Amino acid sequence: MSNPLAVLRVFALVLLVFALTMLVPAAVAWFEHDKAAGAFLRGFLITLSPAALLWWLTRRHTEELRVRDGFLLVSLVWVLVPVFAAIPLMDFLRGMSFTDAYFEAVSGLTTTGATVIEGLDTLPYSINLWRALLVFLGGMGLIVLAVAILPLLGVGGRQLFTAESPGPIKDTKLTPRIAQTAKGLWLVYFGLAIACTLGYAWAGMGWADAVIHMFTTLGLGGFSSHDASYAYFNSPRVELVAIVFMTLAGMNFATHFMAVRRRTLSFYWADPEIRWYVGVMYASVLGIAVYLWQTHTYADFWTALRFAAFNVVSIATTTGFANTDYAQWPFFAPLWMLFLCSFVTCAGSTGGGIKMMRAIIVFRQVMREVVHTVHPNAVRTVKLADAPLPNKIIFAVLAFSFIYMAIIVSLTLLMVFAGQDIVTAFSAVVASFNNTGPGLGQVGPATTFKSLTDFQTWVCTIAMLLGRLEVFTLLVVLTPTFWRK
Amino acid sequence: MERLLAVLNVFARIALMFGCAMLLPIGVSWWIGDGALTAFDEAFLGTLVIGGVLLLSTQRFRRELRPNDGVLLVVLCWVLLPAIAALPLIFGIPDARFADVYFEAVSGLTATGATAFSGLDKLPPSINLWRTELHWIGGLGIIVLAVAILPLLGVGGRQLMKAEVPGPVKEAGITPRVTETAKGFWIIYVFLTLLCTLAYGLFGMSWLDALTHAFSTVALGGFSSHDASFAYFDSPVLEGITIGFALVSGISYVTHFAALSGRSLRPYLRDGEAPYYLLVMAGSVLLIAAYIWQQNYYTEFSVALRHAAFNTVSVATTLGYASTDYSRWPFFAPLWMLFLCSFTTCSGSTGGGLKMMRAIILYKQVFREVAHSIHPNATTYIKLGGAVVPNKIILSVLGFGFLYMVCTIFFTLVLAASGIDILSAFSAAVACFNNTGPGLGLVGPDSNYGVFNDFQVWVCSFAMLLGRLEIFTLLVVLTPAFWRK
Repeated sequence: MSNPLAVLRVFALVLLVFALTMLVPAAVAWFEHDKAAGAFLRGFLITLSPAALLWWLTRRHTEELRVRDGFLLVSLVWVLVPVFAAIPLMDFLRGMSFTDAYFEAVSGLTTTGATVIEGLDTLPYSINLWRALLVFLGGMGLIVLAVAILPLLGVGGRQLFTAESPGPIKDTKLTPRIAQTAKGLWLVYFGLAIACTLGYAWAGMGWADAVIHMFTTLGLGGFSSHDASYAYFNSPRVELVAIVFMTLAGMNFATHFMAVRRRTLSFYWADPEIRWYVGVMYASVLGIAVYLWQTHTYADFWTALRFAAFNVVSIATTTGFANTDYAQWPFFAPLWMLFLCSFVTCAGSTGGGIKMMRAIIVFRQVMREVVHTVHPNAVRTVKLADAPLPNKIIFAVLAFSFIYMAIIVSLTLLMVFAGQDIVTAFSAVVASFNNTGPGLGQVGPATTFKSLTDFQTWVCTIAMLLGRLEVFTLLVVLTPTFWRK
Repeated sequence: MERLLAVLNVFARIALMFGCAMLLPIGVSWWIGDGALTAFDEAFLGTLVIGGVLLLSTQRFRRELRPNDGVLLVVLCWVLLPAIAALPLIFGIPDARFADVYFEAVSGLTATGATAFSGLDKLPPSINLWRTELHWIGGLGIIVLAVAILPLLGVGGRQLMKAEVPGPVKEAGITPRVTETAKGFWIIYVFLTLLCTLAYGLFGMSWLDALTHAFSTVALGGFSSHDASFAYFDSPVLEGITIGFALVSGISYVTHFAALSGRSLRPYLRDGEAPYYLLVMAGSVLLIAAYIWQQNYYTEFSVALRHAAFNTVSVATTLGYASTDYSRWPFFAPLWMLFLCSFTTCSGSTGGGLKMMRAIILYKQVFREVAHSIHPNATTYIKLGGAVVPNKIILSVLGFGFLYMVCTIFFTLVLAASGIDILSAFSAAVACFNNTGPGLGLVGPDSNYGVFNDFQVWVCSFAMLLGRLEIFTLLVVLTPAFWRK
């Protein structure tokens, strides 16, 4: 039995802070006179009042949260905060259904980047800023989730990372650990944010666009303020900056933190996950560039390389920017990109998918099985960074990978059942579940998720939440055992 | 090297026996005078010469085989016998590509039933009989593989079945075990075939067609002597017979054996898999019938039920007959059928795919992980058929399940990269890898694999072999560790 009231108190605090962030776009809207100020102020009030009420009702329950309370807290935050995040969108964009607005908000806070809004260029700046800010805030939450909370909960073998992340390791209390971790990692996050903004400005983006795109680059979200996404800028320099920061944001933030604190790059080399991440991603860039060039999609190799580099890194890191309609490429290329986005990013990053760490473990376990078949009595261990992994973790990782694939299959079947064609159904599920953003077919990079029916939109929304909370977090809260005393 | 020669010696004997199987189509061809007699004579002689030379040249390396040699023998049989099996086709169909002919033979011996030929009705009946006889012989091999060899090797958690198999379990040598096990099961297999032939013959098929289709039904293959497959007969009674025998063939032969020797139906209930297998099948038939009826594909529910029952059971048991072009059904239906074929059949049967036993273990393991997340220190078990499944086996099953999905993705990507549309690529990969037969799109039930180019046909042949040998068997032979002393 967890302690729901104490959890609700913390949730109320989170919601209070979240309400305050609505004042940022409100202020921007007021300065710009772009008519959205009212929407944000109303959103602020509608969020603030229940948050305050909830806090007041539960203010006495200051009990220390335990590990198991983490499941409930995390699920509550990611399921309910988007409800409030959607309010300014619904308020301003009259005619937007709750389904669509909630989808957009979930897409932002889970740093997915799939949108149902067309005509982004005509929207007020503050609305686009709010969408991007959701991604940035989601990213902040995610780093803490990935580095501090999930390892503690042991979701899908995550306990592996407890040893590596900074902060008190053996502590079973939730709050001090989160606070400790957040402090260090957010410093890195904000550092990267400033560097990224400067980079974009240097590359020629206006400051307004630079901030929005910095938000979505670091959160590995993929929202843009332009329908054409990065094709709008059509600038190799901007794309290069984006590639660099997407690559950095896809690495483990704990590793960044260690590297900054000790002022050495050796941590990057020592991290097997980062080696594989960079290796697989950039090998794929080269492979796809050659493939595009060979299939005469682009006449010269350098153009092919430019487009391959940007779009492959963007999809593989689960960001979801596009500088061309890559859905028109020979089909293998986008399929490979979707494949990459399901496992490439590192475990302590804002990226989605299975995570490279688990992919490595699963791969080594399969190899171990092969050896076992030849030598049934051989004793072999799966090692990671020279430390043998306990079977318990391998179990968790394998079961996680399995349920990951099973969910992709089931949700695809559900989408097809609801009348979607196979390419759209499959790619929408993969792109949502891995928190990538654009899929193929009707939900390709040149279009939006708007064409989906309400039911299909909800399937994608659930996919985004399930993927972000690494399935088990949400699943656990839904089991009766969790609520039993 | 010595091991290879010792195994080749045994293989030569199997090849000679296999050559004798050609006497059946030779007899039929001579009896009805269909013009294929010379082709079979040449193939028969060729086989005798190849087998004889191989036998004599390896005779001095003859020794008792060890379990590891079994792996090699199995791989050699399934990779090389198709080349011999292809001889009558090469001589009988002069303008066929070698890739197609080898594909056809692999498809036969792995009991897949995907054909690369059109105009089956115009082929000499003896050639068609040979094609389905390949299924039947393959089925004999598959039963031995599934109940004697794979459990011994422990491929993907197969050792679970070891305890249930009658005959000497702890025997080190592989031959006595295989002979012992095989005898009992083959009697059932032959008995089922005779019964099936009789039923087909009595209810409207010509006796030659009856034998041809009985071979293919009992082995869960799917070759037919008609391009239209079962639509040619258009007979609900024959379809009913097929459904019955396909369902029986999809249950473990170990269970059949136990039921027969104990003269009781109780083993079917106690079997951990069979009840689930039947339930999933019945539920899916009803679901698909209701779905295609609701979508107005058929106006009458009874017609919908008839076609849903036949095609769903046919695809889900990895048989692969079609009574109508089900790829035109609303898309969810064929997709669900492909989904079923990847896990429904029981583990000691002639069917392909992941097998129901593994699916159950995977399913239970996921819930065990959820329980673990809530109570990290709880000790939980997975039970199957009343017995606790050891962790080692669960680990194998998880690894296998994961590898299975990875292979499906891999083949889809390779086929897509070679220029096939995604639907055809994916369905061909699934249908071949699960040894089902017809896919969708280009390779749908009213089409055939002849439309693929050489490379694609080879990929499909490889997929069939890999699926049939449960990946590890083939993978193991390709590792250096296997060949080390």
